[in-house]
Amino acid sequence: MKVDIRHIAKLSRLQVKEEEIQKFEQEMEQIVSMVENLPQLDDTGALIDVNHPMVMREDVAQHHFKREELLKNAPQIKAGCVVVPKIVD
Amino acid sequence: MEMYQYTATELSTMLKEKKCSAVEITKSVIDRIHAVEDKVKAFITVTEDVALQKAEEVDKKIANQQPISELAGIPIAIKDNICTKGVATTCASKMLEHFVPPYNATVIEKLNACDYVPIGKVNMDEFAMGSSTETSYFEKTKNPHDFNRVPGGSSGGSAACVGAGEAVLSLGSDTGGSIRLPASYCGVVGLKPTYSSVSRYGLVAFASSLDQIGPMGRSVSDVAMLYSAICGRDAHDATSAIREYPDFKANLNCDVKGKVIGIPKEYFGEGVSEVVRKNVMQVAKELEKNGAVLREISLPSTGYALSAYYIISSAEASSNLARFDGVKYGYRTAEYNSLIEMYEKTRSEGFGDEVKRRILLGTFVLSSGYYDAYYKRAKLLQQQTTKEFHQEFEKCDVILTPTAPDTAFKIGENINDPLKMYATDICTINVNIAGLPAISVPCGKDENHLPIGVQLIGPKFSEQTLLNTAFAYEQIVGGFSCIPELN
Repeated sequence: MKVDIRHIAKLSRLQVKEEEIQKFEQEMEQIVSMVENLPQLDDTGALIDVNHPMVMREDVAQHHFKREELLKNAPQIKAGCVVVPKIVD
Repeated sequence: MEMYQYTATELSTMLKEKKCSAVEITKSVIDRIHAVEDKVKAFITVTEDVALQKAEEVDKKIANQQPISELAGIPIAIKDNICTKGVATTCASKMLEHFVPPYNATVIEKLNACDYVPIGKVNMDEFAMGSSTETSYFEKTKNPHDFNRVPGGSSGGSAACVGAGEAVLSLGSDTGGSIRLPASYCGVVGLKPTYSSVSRYGLVAFASSLDQIGPMGRSVSDVAMLYSAICGRDAHDATSAIREYPDFKANLNCDVKGKVIGIPKEYFGEGVSEVVRKNVMQVAKELEKNGAVLREISLPSTGYALSAYYIISSAEASSNLARFDGVKYGYRTAEYNSLIEMYEKTRSEGFGDEVKRRILLGTFVLSSGYYDAYYKRAKLLQQQTTKEFHQEFEKCDVILTPTAPDTAFKIGENINDPLKMYATDICTINVNIAGLPAISVPCGKDENHLPIGVQLIGPKFSEQTLLNTAFAYEQIVGGFSCIPELN
């Protein structure tokens, strides 16, 4: 199984250095050949746990955090907003 | 005997009987950290001041004759992927090096309500991806029994600090064995609870359908006490089970008469070292001598677990880690010309190799045309594994296996061979795949004086049975002496 690291990296939003491509490719192919040994099983059943339904909590508006508190972790802020590169001309 | 050497159960009684103060306990643990942390490197952040302040508050409560919980005044270390308000939570990654959560994980809120002493945040594999704690961005934690060896992972800091006496208890998280493997390597007790019994709110997600927070300590009673404090329904985690839990420590019982212990032959085959096999089977024999019944069982899908695990966990990881984009929190690259370039450079510089490897694998198995071949087959195998466990639990109460095929390996030994590293999780992974609880308990040492661990697996929500069986073994051997000299 050939793995196209450049394509997968693009989908993952990761840059892989030219000199690392071969290393990652080799490692990934080894891992893929390990996972390829899975048996073919009956696939007619549901893939969810019917005995354990999840319960959603009520959608209640709560004031948990102050704006400044949350912005403390932002890499770049200006006038109380997160700064990002321009995406529309 | 120094204060840091006692178990939480002993310290709790001593506090109530006023034989010591919470400040004395905390100071003893801090002194121990000062004495050995240079060698062990278990901590990413030591919160000395907060710990002492909390200990003083507990002492005041005791002086005022206010009621205190069993965990009050007990120094507990927290794995650095569990959010602690106002204290950096890094996941041992450059990506979150400066991240300070504005909120507490539910488990931290629960421990705060018990007046625990937060002694610090401990090292781990980056984003909990690893089996040796070597993928941490910050430092390599050492095994307290041999500084040339790994503590296991990914909760290596949690195991090493308890094993070295730098904390009385700790919290870890377990996605494929990350509590049990380091517990086994460091000679401590570690419980991976039933999936859904402990809230994951505030645990930085790796593989959401497998992750579970759990307790580590130096005695079964200590682990039972910490587990009781953290389990329970939480509306903030939609997967958390709606049910009542007993007081696990109060219900501890060492009677194993008539208990049927299943021994799955698949866990004792090739790859398991002779000394591990011998010591683990010795545990079975000791329990048999005390009235338990041994029965050979079979879990035929065991050999496929590793494959299913790497597909499911990597798929979920690739999706969960998509949030690290350098926008709202975490690391952001210094120079970029476009949004896409910012994303790509941020992620490439912020994540280490193992994390990248898992994101790539996860993206691959979920990518167009491969979903049915990989992810769906892995989910079907998960169902099959769960069914096999269920069938075998009709014949036995507890399943006994080694926690790991061998004892702790040398630092650097497996770092360049991902498949060899992944294979260390071979005995623990199935438990996560099936959502079951399991406990690792020390059972002697090998010829290099390295601890060996035995794993007990039970049906969902059978923690009391697991703790009782572990407690029975602990009583038989007269307790686990875990803390090495470290001179």
